[in-house]
Amino acid sequence: MPLISTRALTKRYPGGVTALDALSVDIDEGVIGLVGANGAGKSTLIKILLGLLPATEGGATVLDLDAATQGAAIRERVGYMPEHDCLPPDVSATEFVAHMARVSGLPRGAARERTADVLRHVGLYEERYRPIGGYSTGMKQRVKLAQALVHDPRLLFLDEPTNGLDPAGRDEMLDLIERIGRDFGITVVVASHLLGEIERVAGWLVAIDAGRLLRTAPLASFTERTGQLLVETEEEGESLAARLAGRGIEALADGRTVLVDLASGGGGEYEVYDAVRDEAVELGLAIVRIEHRRHRLEDLFRDGGADERVA
Amino acid sequence: MSGSPETATGTIYDIGYRGYDGARLGRRGAIGAIVGAGLRAVFGLGRSARSKILPWGAVVLAVVPAGVAVAIRVLAGDIIELYNYENYLWEIGALLPIFVAAQAPELVVNDMRHRVLPLYFSRPISRYDYVVSKLTALTLALLALTLLPVLILFAGRVLSAEDALGALGDEIGALPGIIGSGVLHAVVLASIGLAICAVAGRRAYAAGAVLAVFLIGSVMSGTFEAQGGALEGFAPFVNPLAILDGARQWLFGGTVAGSPVSGAGVALPIYGLAVAVILAVSWLVLAIRYRGVTT
Repeated sequence: MPLISTRALTKRYPGGVTALDALSVDIDEGVIGLVGANGAGKSTLIKILLGLLPATEGGATVLDLDAATQGAAIRERVGYMPEHDCLPPDVSATEFVAHMARVSGLPRGAARERTADVLRHVGLYEERYRPIGGYSTGMKQRVKLAQALVHDPRLLFLDEPTNGLDPAGRDEMLDLIERIGRDFGITVVVASHLLGEIERVAGWLVAIDAGRLLRTAPLASFTERTGQLLVETEEEGESLAARLAGRGIEALADGRTVLVDLASGGGGEYEVYDAVRDEAVELGLAIVRIEHRRHRLEDLFRDGGADERVA
Repeated sequence: MSGSPETATGTIYDIGYRGYDGARLGRRGAIGAIVGAGLRAVFGLGRSARSKILPWGAVVLAVVPAGVAVAIRVLAGDIIELYNYENYLWEIGALLPIFVAAQAPELVVNDMRHRVLPLYFSRPISRYDYVVSKLTALTLALLALTLLPVLILFAGRVLSAEDALGALGDEIGALPGIIGSGVLHAVVLASIGLAICAVAGRRAYAAGAVLAVFLIGSVMSGTFEAQGGALEGFAPFVNPLAILDGARQWLFGGTVAGSPVSGAGVALPIYGLAVAVILAVSWLVLAIRYRGVTT
């Protein structure tokens, strides 16, 4: 049984905006990237899964609980880190996170113990006794993560967790997310419009666009090798492409790069390598680099018929 | 295995992440936590000394008359009666709006203004659980002003009598009225206070608005009373504290000198109706305000 399962989930807001359009997807354990442009329906999906927003049509289960009718039970075992600022400035991180633990249903003693543990895990030490109002953005993001983690959820929803962070803070947050998924054994759903970040932490990807499922697959399959060899040369690649074509190998020159089809020519991959080498030598052409071309995550949105490009 | 040197010495290990398999108290635990934290916030517990001054000062000022009344009774006997169970809340009335104005914003304004509410709502409570918990906290806190002093007066009168048991027999009949009117005042004042705070965006605005409602009400009520005639009938209904006094009279009896209720000549059940209207409007405002919060 998957941790999250949606069936033809549709959400239309009054006024005719369709945020989710018959979305059916199963999500299993691990670190899952929920990617899509701003307005693709990521936040709406999370709110429906938390039982905070009723679906217009279709349904969803989270941890085998029905999102429409068992929201409170879901929220007891799920953590949520919103995208926006959500911390009161006049209390300390310790006080706030312990309070949030108790609102999640933990008894007083357990709340205090877990607060200390979790703040240490997210990397807040001495400063945790000071009022949150004086924290940096990075520290605030850690408190937001800590409050989502303090009740030991089985599942964690993080909405744009690196928002507003500088590159160093972003790296630390991504490391933390990776650790939560790998070492803490908590399934993390990271909603983000930044593909580069998702690529770093997620093992599985759910791509949505305009409320529809674009694709769901292991991250590796999004970025796997294509059957093409990319050859970058120092001069125009036209001549190389022409000579390869003379050998029956499909090659396409584009400025100083030549894309070579590894399956063509009839002699197999190694024949193609040899041909590229031999022809380059005969032409006296300097080669800058040769690499297997990989799918890029961005291609997904470009080829998926999406009008909006994902940043 | 037991003799291995590694386990025998006191090495510190990074124990890593630990899960939690203990009790989960769910919605009940959550409501209890919000009420508890609300009470701490209202009385400034766990906060700076400065934030304790006003709430505790108000409680002390509310209790002092009861102490004085008991002392007079002990020293001078039954000659004068400044405070009794009926007029006590009317006499300390000015303290109540001040307490509400200063402390009610502590409960709700920051959660709204700094968008903490989505964190509450992503836990096993509904938005109505949240509002009811906050109302409960403020009501319980207000009982320190509307019930505690009168109970002290009650206890003083019983214990200062020569025949304490006999006095208990005489006084016990007043207890339902004491508790009932204390709870009535607390619930109504808490509802008005939170409704105003939920709409006001900042603590200062909220405090000002609460004070304004009671101050303007009291001034208008006094003016209407002085005008006499038809206006005098409306005098109690522009002042929430006078409405409360009327409802108290209706439910538990006993007139209060100085309250506009006696001069208005309005049937007492009307005050009960007015209280019902105040509660309904306050709760409706709260429900609408919190339904509109996006998560």
